[in-house]
Amino acid sequence: MSRFLDPAESSKPYKDPTPLPADVPKVKELGVTSAPLKSAAFFLGAYCKDYNEDFMLCKAENPDPAHCLKEGRRVTRCAQDLITKLRENCLAEFEKHWNCLEYNNQEYYHCRKDERVLNKCVFEKLGLVKTIPGTPEGKTPIHEVKNPVYTGVQK
Amino acid sequence: MPVPWEALIPFALLTTMFGAAGTLLNTSKRLQNQGKPVRYNVDAWDEMMMDRDRRLTGHKRGQAAEPFAPEEFETNSAWYTERTS
Repeated sequence: MSRFLDPAESSKPYKDPTPLPADVPKVKELGVTSAPLKSAAFFLGAYCKDYNEDFMLCKAENPDPAHCLKEGRRVTRCAQDLITKLRENCLAEFEKHWNCLEYNNQEYYHCRKDERVLNKCVFEKLGLVKTIPGTPEGKTPIHEVKNPVYTGVQK
Repeated sequence: MPVPWEALIPFALLTTMFGAAGTLLNTSKRLQNQGKPVRYNVDAWDEMMMDRDRRLTGHKRGQAAEPFAPEEFETNSAWYTERTS
């Protein structure tokens, strides 16, 4: 009998220590946690667009994890490449922005000042621009609005 | 006529007690969250990301910006399974 057991109710979690089979090429996992990932998200979108789209299309064909391992490895390598470049070139601005996000519930609209500094540094050093896909034509993207309506409570 | 200062003691007491309770609660919450404000409006995505952060760093609010994860990260995810035999 196998029914769905909520892992929150189990007395101890089941962790499987066996690694991947030897015929799968080995790629180290991305070691970025949520706040730096959110900070770098739009640059990942700009830099790794092709690999990300390949992976999404592959997943759309077949959601089985085994089907898209190759595209997944490419995405991981591209993301690692971008994080390494970010750390080399804009480490201070990057750290400042994701620390700001961590103190503000990981919401972008609280941290526009640090975000502008980071965007400028990344554009100068790496040539990546943050674009929000789906912005209506003619409207400025929310991250470029000079005096936004929705801001944090405290300055 | 002398000022009835004893009558103001309850006000001072209330202010102090509210302030102390609020400060204590805030400090307790911040200590549980590594000195950061508590996360609110946490949805399933944020729960999953905080679990991933815990797997990567050891604490659900811990952050790291390394390109490569430590070795344990690859196999320390908890699985939705049960032992049937």
